[in-house]
Amino acid sequence: MTRFLLRRTLSAVVLVLVLTAVVFVLQAVSPGDPVKAYLGANASPSAVAAERKTLGLDQPLPVQYLHYIVRALHGDLGISLRTHRPVASDLHDFLPATIELVLVAFVVAILLGCLYAVSGSLRWPGGAFFRGPLLVLATAPPFLLALGGIILFYAQLQVLPAAGRGADQSSPTGFLLVDSLLGGDVSEWAAAVQHLVLPAVILAIAPSISIGRILRSSLDTTLASDHVRTARAKGLTPLAVLGKHVVRNSLGPGLSMAGLQLGFMFAGVVVVEQVFSWPGIGNYLAASIPTSDFPAIAGVTLVLGIIYIVANAVVDVLQAVADPRLTP
Amino acid sequence: MKNALRKTATRGVVAALAVSSLVVLAACSSAGGGSTKANAAPTDGVLTVGLLGDIGQPPDPDIYYANNGLAIVLNTYEGLVQYANNVDTVKIAPRLATSWTVNKTNTVYTFTLRSGVTFHDGTKFTSEAVKASFDRRTAVKGGAAYMTAGVQSVATPDDLTAVVTLKAPNSAFLDYLASPFGPKMESPTGLEKHAGSDDAQTYLQTHDLGTGPYELTTANTGSKYGLTQYSGYWGTKSPFKTVDLPVYTDVSALQLAFDNGDVSAIVAALPSSSLTKYDGNKKFDSVFLPTLQSALLTVNPSKSFFSTKEARTAFMQSIDQKQLVKEVLGARSSVATTLYAKGMISDGSDKQDIGYDPKVFAAYAKTLPTGTKMTIGYASDNTNAQSMANIVTANLQNDGITATAQGYPTSQVFGWANDPTKGPDAFIDGNNGPDGGSPYMWGHVFWDKSGGINYFLCDSPSTDADLNQAVATGDTSLYAKAAQTYSATGCYMNLSYNKDWVVSQKWLTGVAEAHNIGANELDFSKLGIAK
Repeated sequence: MTRFLLRRTLSAVVLVLVLTAVVFVLQAVSPGDPVKAYLGANASPSAVAAERKTLGLDQPLPVQYLHYIVRALHGDLGISLRTHRPVASDLHDFLPATIELVLVAFVVAILLGCLYAVSGSLRWPGGAFFRGPLLVLATAPPFLLALGGIILFYAQLQVLPAAGRGADQSSPTGFLLVDSLLGGDVSEWAAAVQHLVLPAVILAIAPSISIGRILRSSLDTTLASDHVRTARAKGLTPLAVLGKHVVRNSLGPGLSMAGLQLGFMFAGVVVVEQVFSWPGIGNYLAASIPTSDFPAIAGVTLVLGIIYIVANAVVDVLQAVADPRLTP
Repeated sequence: MKNALRKTATRGVVAALAVSSLVVLAACSSAGGGSTKANAAPTDGVLTVGLLGDIGQPPDPDIYYANNGLAIVLNTYEGLVQYANNVDTVKIAPRLATSWTVNKTNTVYTFTLRSGVTFHDGTKFTSEAVKASFDRRTAVKGGAAYMTAGVQSVATPDDLTAVVTLKAPNSAFLDYLASPFGPKMESPTGLEKHAGSDDAQTYLQTHDLGTGPYELTTANTGSKYGLTQYSGYWGTKSPFKTVDLPVYTDVSALQLAFDNGDVSAIVAALPSSSLTKYDGNKKFDSVFLPTLQSALLTVNPSKSFFSTKEARTAFMQSIDQKQLVKEVLGARSSVATTLYAKGMISDGSDKQDIGYDPKVFAAYAKTLPTGTKMTIGYASDNTNAQSMANIVTANLQNDGITATAQGYPTSQVFGWANDPTKGPDAFIDGNNGPDGGSPYMWGHVFWDKSGGINYFLCDSPSTDADLNQAVATGDTSLYAKAAQTYSATGCYMNLSYNKDWVVSQKWLTGVAEAHNIGANELDFSKLGIAK
């Protein structure tokens, strides 16, 4: 297992380096002028030229990349051309909001996915009333779903908020659900939950179907297998059969898909964060792209790449734990 | 088994349809804001002004050089002068200077300063602050540092007199100071105390050192900004003790928050497509206020299509300016008839004389090879510019040109000046303007090759020379000549005089009084609650 983890880490580092290099090349071929965005629309060409030199953007691309990597190893991801703050500080402020949103959405996706799979495999009466709408909602584009959710639950029913996280600051962890509890502020915690509900559920709907379908297929296969038939013949209750002989043997593909979906959720969170004005890295990225804020784009790419790779490694480990036959 | 499957499927479809219908019904019923009853006024002294998108740059007056964050800069800081509020012409008005004199050569500006003014950190406002603030702007080297670059010295004969001497004559200097992006007064003791290694730039990302009616008390980038009324403010105070500026990244979410009464006002952030919803709606107030902004059309002489003046002029004549402005911009704009902003040249001698005559371009198009291509660009975040580009494109196609409309992100638009051949054949700016009300500030940025927004470097040396001569003396006839010379290149058309469109809750008063032609934002201290 140690060798496996080392191998995964090494490949992850290479992958992240490749990712940042790709972003650098894309920046080089892009015709944009980020310094104009940095200084403002009416800035004179002489001021732009001087600032380009100050920011090191007049140097050859490989030199810029080398400087970037060396600085990144020291935790310095450069200065955002848009916010004028260190990218590391920006990420420190924005990343927890995204992680909190995605993790809650991930839990919701797994719950919905499990319900989808189990209700289908065990043919729960009325289960189709849950699966049908879920399937329909999953086919809708996320921005449309998000807007529909805001119109229904904020504008009409007025039971859920439409924008933001519900509090101005979050410290010391940056996770509002945790910080509000640590601070003993129940009303802030409740507000944080309220603000999370809509974006988390909307972010969870499409992945829940992917997880649910794979899990259902796996459950169906296991339910039809000989050892389950034997367990039933021995007179075990349906719940005991499910718990002892079906779930564990069916989890592998579901876990694998969940890991993939977790990575996709981090990538797909941009749209949801945009509509819900969620102060996370998705919004940060969306605002950085039109201004060619390369340090910010590279910083987010770096972080998303690491998260994606770590999530997949964790899933691999979990799979091995769930089914020791898969141990590398 | 088949029956069971069919039943299950039917139930699923019915349920799905029920949920979808609910969402659709909700969507439909929300259009127009539901109830026709106006939202109630706040009782907690909080004014909420929604921002569409983050302010981008930090609200440091020597760095900030865009539009969305001016609400913060202009309510926390003050300059020596400003443009007069609630008038549709450019008129310099007092702010921290109560009066001023200018010598005949436009090189020495003497200001008498307002007494009894204090900075938010308690420091008394004196002439020393003028010098410190000008020095900082020059040192920080932000985009608008040019406004103090010509200052040779600031003399401080007494606490309430500041004498600014320029290196060269500049009749536009008062406009530099009145510009929303002009130098603002900053506490000299605060600047020194929080200087750090970057002239207090880090400190001013989350604090302010101004004299304005409000202090910056919350600055959560990308999420929310908050202002608190300054108790020691020298001027009148509004009933709003706090101003919240939440950031919305989606225009629909912002509109819904406004409809529900969670947002008190939206300033210049809604697209023209929302006009029908709010204009004339009894539940809200909707006002159009004068600005120096315009929609502009520029062509790219470095592209083969527009390499000749004949082609550029023919294209300009093919634009049905009246139809374009009416159809797309509606009540928030009027058709531009001058080359500068409305009223910038008082005698109207900058008249734009480009007659609509589509036959000229149609005839020219017939001389081109079949399938000749052309790209009309627009700023990708401006829906009005996109609509105008689509209409122009459709008309070009009627003339047999294979025309396409294409959106470009901001940084790409700014990058064209490095290599105009990478730009489109023509570009439509939905909303752009100068830093201030002097014709020089318009002509220099849009027409001068060394200006900031001459995207395609359409060069007219005579225009540049006239502008440079005119700024020294303020000679209106030279400004007009520069404009006409540049117009003759066929590179430029002023499409419309744009207005700031402010939608607000019925209870909010003083919107027009809180607005001036240069600022595109509101002075929150002048707003109130209807009784």
